[in-house]
Amino acid sequence: MIDEKKLSILTSAAKYDVSCSSSGSKRKNTTHGLGNACFGGLCHSFTQDGRCISLLKILMSNDCIYDCKYCTSRCTNSVPRATATPDEICQLTIEFYKRNYIEGLFLSSSIFKSPNHTMEILYETVRKLRVEYHFNGYIHLKGIPGADSLLVEKAGFLVDRMSFNIELPSEKSLTLLAPQKNKQNIIAPMKMLARDKYFVLPNKRRKDFIPAGQTTQMIIGASPESDAHILKLSEYMYQNYKMKRVYFSTYTPTNFDTSLLPTTQLSLVREHRLYQADWLLRFYGFTADEITGDKGFLSEEYDPKCAWALKNLHLFPVEINRASPELLLRVPGIGVKSAYRIMHARKYAKLDFNDLKRLRVVLKRAVHFITCNGKYLGAQSQRLIEASLSGIEQIDNSKQLSIFEQNQLALSALTGEL
Amino acid sequence: MKIFTIENHINGILCALYLSFTEKIIPDFVEDISTFQPRFDGAIINVNTNTANSERVKTALYKYGGSDIIYQMKICLMSKEHSALLHAFNYGYATLKYRTDISNMLSEKAVSDFSYTVQKVLHERHILTGMIRFRESINGVLYAKFSPDNDVVSLIAPHFLKRLGRTPFILHDLSRNKICISDGATIKTVFTNLPANFTPAEKESGISELWKKYYGSVNIKERKNQRLQDNFFPRRYRKYCYETWE
Repeated sequence: MIDEKKLSILTSAAKYDVSCSSSGSKRKNTTHGLGNACFGGLCHSFTQDGRCISLLKILMSNDCIYDCKYCTSRCTNSVPRATATPDEICQLTIEFYKRNYIEGLFLSSSIFKSPNHTMEILYETVRKLRVEYHFNGYIHLKGIPGADSLLVEKAGFLVDRMSFNIELPSEKSLTLLAPQKNKQNIIAPMKMLARDKYFVLPNKRRKDFIPAGQTTQMIIGASPESDAHILKLSEYMYQNYKMKRVYFSTYTPTNFDTSLLPTTQLSLVREHRLYQADWLLRFYGFTADEITGDKGFLSEEYDPKCAWALKNLHLFPVEINRASPELLLRVPGIGVKSAYRIMHARKYAKLDFNDLKRLRVVLKRAVHFITCNGKYLGAQSQRLIEASLSGIEQIDNSKQLSIFEQNQLALSALTGEL
Repeated sequence: MKIFTIENHINGILCALYLSFTEKIIPDFVEDISTFQPRFDGAIINVNTNTANSERVKTALYKYGGSDIIYQMKICLMSKEHSALLHAFNYGYATLKYRTDISNMLSEKAVSDFSYTVQKVLHERHILTGMIRFRESINGVLYAKFSPDNDVVSLIAPHFLKRLGRTPFILHDLSRNKICISDGATIKTVFTNLPANFTPAEKESGISELWKKYYGSVNIKERKNQRLQDNFFPRRYRKYCYETWE
């Protein structure tokens, strides 16, 4: 079994990998096996940073030969190094899984010796876990850019999800901050995993090859790209590489020896807004251009849907009992579930505001953009709507009228003279 | 005000529905007879459970409400909410009244109350399937104790039966003294007041220490967000998650 020190080194080096969900796979248990996958995913714990622990997130090794400026495991950084054996990883996964600590394994690695050698060890680990340890739980394998495509494909038949990190939003930043990595080595395996032969339908993967699809991750804040650039890139990857998800990770300062990177912790609001925008791209039918607008950056004050609605007030209010599902999805405060409920409920009766409350629509936001049977209960001007949505107290310039408003009357009241 | 007192069981609800339709009485409250506190301001009607009547109502509910309706009503009865019996009754009543599947008539109070109660139970089931912690005994049996708000232990057990294969396990609901035992093939439910006689395996403390170490090392200190952690990981569920113990 792996010792505490090695575990600590390899897991703390893996903590910046944000993609750790365990959803998308329906893998079943076998007669003599252990584990299965839960399609919706399961969270087993939450750390103090509010992120969930679903998978055992660990590196095979942090003994890296590359010198990526943003990475804690870069070869020029003075940190303790460790490398685990495939059996150590397998045993730990089995023991944690049996006790219901985890939903499966998230295995990544720094590049030790060469990309192919690293990928071989990763492949050997997942092969052992599936074949020798009869493990049927969820496995997310981080692919190694530059490794042989045959190795990547073989691993794909064993795991539930694979991902290749795009690392940074542009090639220029990649060259600057990760000089040993190149765009081609990252994009090629993504393209390979999106080939038609791995799909039974345009958007449905084969059950035996990464059934939960592929994801990627990029660091934000370490390079100057705008939100518009990041979202357009995400949109492109969703459309062309059939990504299940693009993850964003705010750069946490770990390298203070270079002027190329920020040295203070960046605000997490930007990351939050990017995730909200990403949700709009995937489930709400928005495009990246619509969300980001002219400035190129998302508003910190309003969530992207509210910001879009405020820019397009001419489209609102919409009548809740007649609006199309596409338009309902664009109303702030109405999510996919609420829109679905509204669509069903209004077949049987005309909905009013009380009904919407019952359907768990966030009326605090939605009220400014909807009418129910012609009734509008929202704020009367754009300024008031903006104030209400941003949560800022409305600046009250109104004042009580005085009956002695006119100077003459006031004087007369004071002196008693008519 | 009319109050039905029934057995806290699906058959109790079905018989209450039978009585309500045959006698044309709509109750304002439906109460569990075993915990009922008599009130001054209501006419109490005791509903006797009768298999023939409940079967008749069950057939009608299946016919109009679909194959899932009885299962949904059973889940509703697992709720800790005092009004769960009334919600299940009202939902069954509305189904029989409209003679159709009413699950999408969400503007109906009976439907929204019922579906909200069911959702709450299923939500706790989902959370606990992740937050239960097993410990291995010297004879290889996995044992987990927990105290759920709702009576969800029998909903959770099948999840682990599928997952753990032939490994025997015990799920112990401490708040209801209810135990689900699996031998790796079937599940049995028993009630007991006896404390569990559990001797952990030798490696158990080492593995839980590794887990605690892991929990500490994947946290990014610079991103501390207590509020977010509390939202997703309510403190009442942390009692048996020893990675959070100081």
